[in-house]
Amino acid sequence: MKATFPYWGNYTIAFKALFKKLGVDFIAPEKSSQRSVGEGVKISPEMYCFPLKVNIGDYLAAIRKGADTVFMVTSSKGSCRLRYYGDIQEKALIENGHNIDFIILDQNPKDIYKKLKKNSGASFFQIIKAFYFFYKKLGFIEWLERKAQYIRPRELKRGEVDRLLDNTFEKLDKINNFRGVSKFKKEIKREIREIGTEKDKIVPKVGLIGEIFTVTDGAINFDIEKKLGREGIEVHRDMDISYQLKKSVFPWKDWIIQRKIIPYLKSTVGGHGRDAIYEMLNYIKEDFDGIIHLLPFGCMPETTVRPILEKIHKENGIPFLSLSLDEQVAEVGINTRIEAFVDVVRNYHKTRC
Amino acid sequence: MTIGIPKALIYWKRPYFWQTFFKELGFKVFLSCQTNKKVVEMGVRVADPETCFSIKVFFGHLLWLDKKCDWIFIPRLKTNEQRLEYCPKFFGLPDLAKILVKTPILTETFDEKKEKFEGSVERLGAKLNKNKKEVKKAIEIAFLEEKKTKEKEEKEFFEKIQSKKQKIILISHPYNLYDDYVNLRIKEKLENLNAEVIFINQISTESKPCLSASKNQKRLSGWPKFHWEFGQEIMEQIQEILKYNISGVVEISSFQCGCDAVLREFVEREFKKRKIPFLYLLIDEQAGEAGIQTRIEAFMDTIK
Repeated sequence: MKATFPYWGNYTIAFKALFKKLGVDFIAPEKSSQRSVGEGVKISPEMYCFPLKVNIGDYLAAIRKGADTVFMVTSSKGSCRLRYYGDIQEKALIENGHNIDFIILDQNPKDIYKKLKKNSGASFFQIIKAFYFFYKKLGFIEWLERKAQYIRPRELKRGEVDRLLDNTFEKLDKINNFRGVSKFKKEIKREIREIGTEKDKIVPKVGLIGEIFTVTDGAINFDIEKKLGREGIEVHRDMDISYQLKKSVFPWKDWIIQRKIIPYLKSTVGGHGRDAIYEMLNYIKEDFDGIIHLLPFGCMPETTVRPILEKIHKENGIPFLSLSLDEQVAEVGINTRIEAFVDVVRNYHKTRC
Repeated sequence: MTIGIPKALIYWKRPYFWQTFFKELGFKVFLSCQTNKKVVEMGVRVADPETCFSIKVFFGHLLWLDKKCDWIFIPRLKTNEQRLEYCPKFFGLPDLAKILVKTPILTETFDEKKEKFEGSVERLGAKLNKNKKEVKKAIEIAFLEEKKTKEKEEKEFFEKIQSKKQKIILISHPYNLYDDYVNLRIKEKLENLNAEVIFINQISTESKPCLSASKNQKRLSGWPKFHWEFGQEIMEQIQEILKYNISGVVEISSFQCGCDAVLREFVEREFKKRKIPFLYLLIDEQAGEAGIQTRIEAFMDTIK
């Protein structure tokens, strides 16, 4: 068995670590590119949402290298189309002549444990250890991303933190033991301190909200974080994998969210629809200067909540930009819209200072 | 007191029930007009450009009703009696409607995972200051009315299935099937081409969807266990209709319908496996009637 899994931004490193620790023979997915997405679009259902097409493109690249099993995490609790990702992807691949096994993992610990045990043959202790290692790397990646979001608009030499980021992820990928990760983190901490920054600079802040995959995967959203950072804007986002993991283990986060957004929406709409409203309200409370809403074209929960987000935007006057991403969207178009938005954000920031 | 009901989308899930129910409680019921160009245009202007066509039509009806009645009734449909979910776009409808219109919205959540349908209706009655007894009576009468129409439909189905003309099955959601403007009068067009049109929801299945859905369903039947009420239902109705001799199948879905993107894959496969001609039509606000006519004619020619 040669396993593969979808590419997911920088988090792919953590998933690689998980499979390595489990002792599963796997082929790491390549970074999604225009080409791989184009390939995926060709064989996937036309009306389906964008992440599915991206995933299929990733699989195709891995299949060419010899992969024959796909691990895919879906959610069997949600109301949106993510539930059928595994089934549809399997169907699309098989109909196009790729003989491939699908192992569909559900978003609950019991199911994941059972299926991983069955397919990898690892012991209980090994699986726990692998997950701990996965979580450690994941935490490190998310911490570094957050640090970079803070430093980018403040750095003296442009592009320094991005270079550090690339180097770090490359090195992190090679580290194979627990102690190595901790030691490496200390090293990176020191390196970050060495980056020259303007400490007291007050910069406009923008919150990224929306669907988890488009928000977190730089290959899909055209590195929107970096773009905004280089324009001198501090980016914040709550959405990442550990947020999702916490939410799937502890249900009360959902209850808190529901209580906070009750004037706007009284029910779940599937996916991360409620979270988007909650995050937007939160960012407004924290005095942010703009909100960017990212969604795959036609995403059911996000399009449902978008009128509500627009209503909040009208009530509060906070600059708001909603970007739908799909295979047709060109980077230049996104660039223009972001540039215009950045101007609005700067003006808004100035008027309030 | 008049209660307005937009005659689109969720209205078609229970077309006779709510009308009879409110009438029995002593309210005037005011239905919105038939869908027409103006209504659709109104809806398209206010709705999110990326939501499905059916929602846009619904918003058009909603705006049409605005200021013409005292309440607008929009239920929040979450799960049905088989504990299967409705489309997630229905969950937020009352909240989105509140943004659009000034008329107060009358709403109640129908989540049968948590509460029986009757209980939810009783709470709705309490909102209208009616006591339990009155509400119960109204529910019974409304159910009877619903049952009558269902029986009529069943009878119609058996008559149609025995006709000697070519039988075409129309697969879609009720809000596309029964709204003649939305589906571009496809039924009429097919009948003009000398075909007998059967709607998918006229077919009654014996088994209850929830009971037959087991864990190994995917391996047995080739489609996953749908959590959408229409998914499981349509797949089973297809199994039922395959027992008869049918000439062709037309599936209509509204543009950007997320659920249909999933469902279509499995519906299409069922018919292609058995070499039954299958036509997939997308409808949207552009409404190119001439294009549809050509495609239907070509489709009918392939059958002959």
